[in-house]
Amino acid sequence: MKQLLNQKPIILLISALLLGALFALPLVVTSPALMQIFILIILYAYFTSTWNFVGGFAGVLPLGHSAFIGIGAYTSTVLFQTFGLSPWFGMIVGGLLAALVGVIIGLPTLKLRGAYFALATIAIGEGMRVLFENVKQVGPFKINGPSGISLQLVESSFMDFQFDTKAPYYYIILIMLLLVLLLTYFMMNSKIGYYLAAGGEEPEAAEALGIKVARYKLIALVISCFLAAFGGTFYAQLMLYFYPKSILGLDLSFEIAFIALIGGRGTILGPVLGALLLRPVSELTRIYLGSSLPGLHLIIFGLVLIVVMRYYPTGLVDPIKKLIDRFIHKPAREKADDLSNPS
Amino acid sequence: MSLLEVKNVTKRFSGLVAVNEVSMNVEEGQIVGVIGPNGAGKTTLFNCIAGALPPSSGSILFDGREVAGKKPYDICQLGITRTFQVVKPFGSKTVLYNTMVGAFAQTKLLHEAEHNALEVLKFLHLDHKKDVVSKSLTLPERKKLELARALATKPKLLLLDEVMAGLRPSEVTDMLPIIRKINETGVTIVIVEHIMQAIMNLSEKIYVVNFGKKIAEGVPHDVVANEEVIKAYLGDAYVATQH
Amino acid sequence: MLGIIEALINGLLMGSIYGLTAVGLTLIFGVMKVINFAHGSILMVGMFAAYWFVKLTGLNPYLAILVVVPLLYYFGYFMQNWVIKPIFEAEKDVREPITVIIVTTGIWYVLDNLSLLLFGAEYRVVKTSVTGKIFEFYDMYFLLPKVIGAGITILCAIYLYWFLKHSKMGKAIRATSLDREAASLMGIKQSKIYNIAFGMGCACCGVAACVLIPFYYVYPTVGVPFDIKAFIIVVLGGLGSIPGAIIGGIIVGIIENVGAQFMASTWTELLLYGVFLFVLLVKPSGLFGMKQDF
Ligand SMILES: Nc1ncnc2c1ncn2[C@@H]1O[C@H](COP(=O)(O)OP(=O)(O)O)[C@@H](O)[C@H]1O
Ligand SMILES: [Mg+2]
Repeated sequence: MKQLLNQKPIILLISALLLGALFALPLVVTSPALMQIFILIILYAYFTSTWNFVGGFAGVLPLGHSAFIGIGAYTSTVLFQTFGLSPWFGMIVGGLLAALVGVIIGLPTLKLRGAYFALATIAIGEGMRVLFENVKQVGPFKINGPSGISLQLVESSFMDFQFDTKAPYYYIILIMLLLVLLLTYFMMNSKIGYYLAAGGEEPEAAEALGIKVARYKLIALVISCFLAAFGGTFYAQLMLYFYPKSILGLDLSFEIAFIALIGGRGTILGPVLGALLLRPVSELTRIYLGSSLPGLHLIIFGLVLIVVMRYYPTGLVDPIKKLIDRFIHKPAREKADDLSNPS
Repeated sequence: MSLLEVKNVTKRFSGLVAVNEVSMNVEEGQIVGVIGPNGAGKTTLFNCIAGALPPSSGSILFDGREVAGKKPYDICQLGITRTFQVVKPFGSKTVLYNTMVGAFAQTKLLHEAEHNALEVLKFLHLDHKKDVVSKSLTLPERKKLELARALATKPKLLLLDEVMAGLRPSEVTDMLPIIRKINETGVTIVIVEHIMQAIMNLSEKIYVVNFGKKIAEGVPHDVVANEEVIKAYLGDAYVATQH
Repeated sequence: MLGIIEALINGLLMGSIYGLTAVGLTLIFGVMKVINFAHGSILMVGMFAAYWFVKLTGLNPYLAILVVVPLLYYFGYFMQNWVIKPIFEAEKDVREPITVIIVTTGIWYVLDNLSLLLFGAEYRVVKTSVTGKIFEFYDMYFLLPKVIGAGITILCAIYLYWFLKHSKMGKAIRATSLDREAASLMGIKQSKIYNIAFGMGCACCGVAACVLIPFYYVYPTVGVPFDIKAFIIVVLGGLGSIPGAIIGGIIVGIIENVGAQFMASTWTELLLYGVFLFVLLVKPSGLFGMKQDF
């Protein structure tokens, strides 16, 4: 916390203004379609921030995060549909289940070279999609195979996590994102964060310094899966309809990884920046070119990714930060120059 | 009871016996040197003691407890920390960050780790570099960082693998009192080094290995007079000319 | 009973084709320690190339090998040289090269969706002289192109194995896989070894693509299931092991085909993931992988 407040006043001021603007946004924007775009940007920033715990800090590459998101969506939804359980509680159950699956893949693979983890997660992501496409019903729970689930509509209420307007969704996901970012911040500035970074970068040296590298990576994975599932529940409540291809499988997993790497993995703001940059591309191309040029946004994603990795392998947060720093410091430096050159 | 007792440790790699039935004893508070030509098996011996590699056979007692085959992190937590001959800094992180990773072995708290890490850096005269990203350090600085990180874990036994290799003579002269001072704070040290002057100067006792086998042990003065040691270092021809 | 044997042999046939794509993947990994996630997309490129070759010339599909394999070799060679190399170099000292992995997934996306733009999403088949021909053997029936395809892939795998063991370049490639600096000791530029290994890995996809064309559909994401299977196979067989890749491929082919005797094909797919997870849990280094390092 001390460090948080140690920043330059101007940066604090800008952050406060930005935050205020974010909270005021629904008062200004009235178009539900536009609100939806903002909500999705924040949701993807949230997804990617949860991904960041593993992909950013633990030094391995998860390529199947949609599996955990999907577990979240399905769990809270079937519990709600079957027992009327509030999605807020279902969300927790989903989180626990996702964490359990995380442990099952993490336990054997996190001890091995990173390639194994990447392969295992990709297989889990796809495997989960195939599983849900195959299953129509489990006990009392209706899964409906490939056709997916439409949520039972109820009156707008907080407990049922359904609202007539977009604003409540907006505030919920905004707060979820802010909480995850805060958690990320605290993690980075704690023993766990240091140990994760060390283990990710030089596992041998880290172990020699007393770090159980695989255990810490597993902790990060569990946190990540748990929180990713929350995002899945949110997605289900927002869309009120989802099916395996929409929420499980490779496309979502890859988009998350791309957002993280383009923004800057292992940084707090990288996921936010990445989502801000990529999400609109995907929405706009889908709206304007979707029918005539299918898949164009994915080509753009891929190309942007390759180019960014070529020139800014750590993502765009660093260069942009430098740019802003220059901008903020420039007036001050000019003043100093003036004093030293009394012409 | 010795602090470290290595008994008949052997390490085989498919076909090659890198360490062959080596035994050694290190008493608490000592500085013990290990010398031998390149490829003699010194680093492999350290790997076995520190848990990076399980020994093929033999036993390693630390504080009377068997540590052979234990994992490196467990061994570190028991009080043995090693440095790597081929340095392995956390390259994208600063010197202070690197050192704090070590310091977290003793505390959960960020500010305490930072405080302890800064102390170690000051002690090693590295504090002026604390905010430098470690991959942009020079080799001697990286070696020092390696030492700083290890020291920050507050080990009982420190295994130093060629921390002075690549240093200029003046830098070696600077390092000697530092290592002695570390020892004076109660840290037992086993040091692998090629620079004879350094190791003779520091060690109470020296072990000499060649082709994985221990060929001599004793106080520095006796060891350098040992014919086999001279042979190992300078070749048979040299010994012949001395007769 | 005959049905099961038939399925077993069908699995063997299809499995050896899977195996060859996995050989390409494992070869690239062995040398560069990078998983080429774009591998399936490269197979897709090869399949479209073979498809158009046969469609436009009307020649025997196996003649396409002479065109498609060199094409994919150079495709891989230059992709490594222009796209992957600069990024690989930048994180050469990093133990877990994440950026390179993600860049290969970027390539995957670009290639798949580019072909979606160019060719549309429809499934295409091309009628060749062997398409639909049946090969009869002791009252069992097999698709002739599958039999020929399996034969060709097995020959290729054997040749590749021989090449790596005995040719000078092959020895340099193997040396590099053990020690990155080794190539320069043998007087060959290391980056060239990488280019060649990548090219050869892609050429394997070229062979697989040509033998698939007479009996398999082509569509923009056709590479994805092959990709995923190749991932499962390399883990089964042990990352970096060529015999492991072939045997892993055959295991996958057999599970798929024999499984299909008892359940819907979507369930056999699931069974594959189950086997994959099981191997990962029980013997993560795979059936033939080296224990160390990975
Ligand atoms: N992980 C390993 N696998 C195979 N051989 C090794 C390994 N580590 C060391 N060696 C071999 O063991 C011998 C001893 O090496 P090392 O302990 O590094 O010697 P020193 O540190 O005395 O120079 C050398 O021949 C070396 O090639
Ligand atoms: Mg050594």
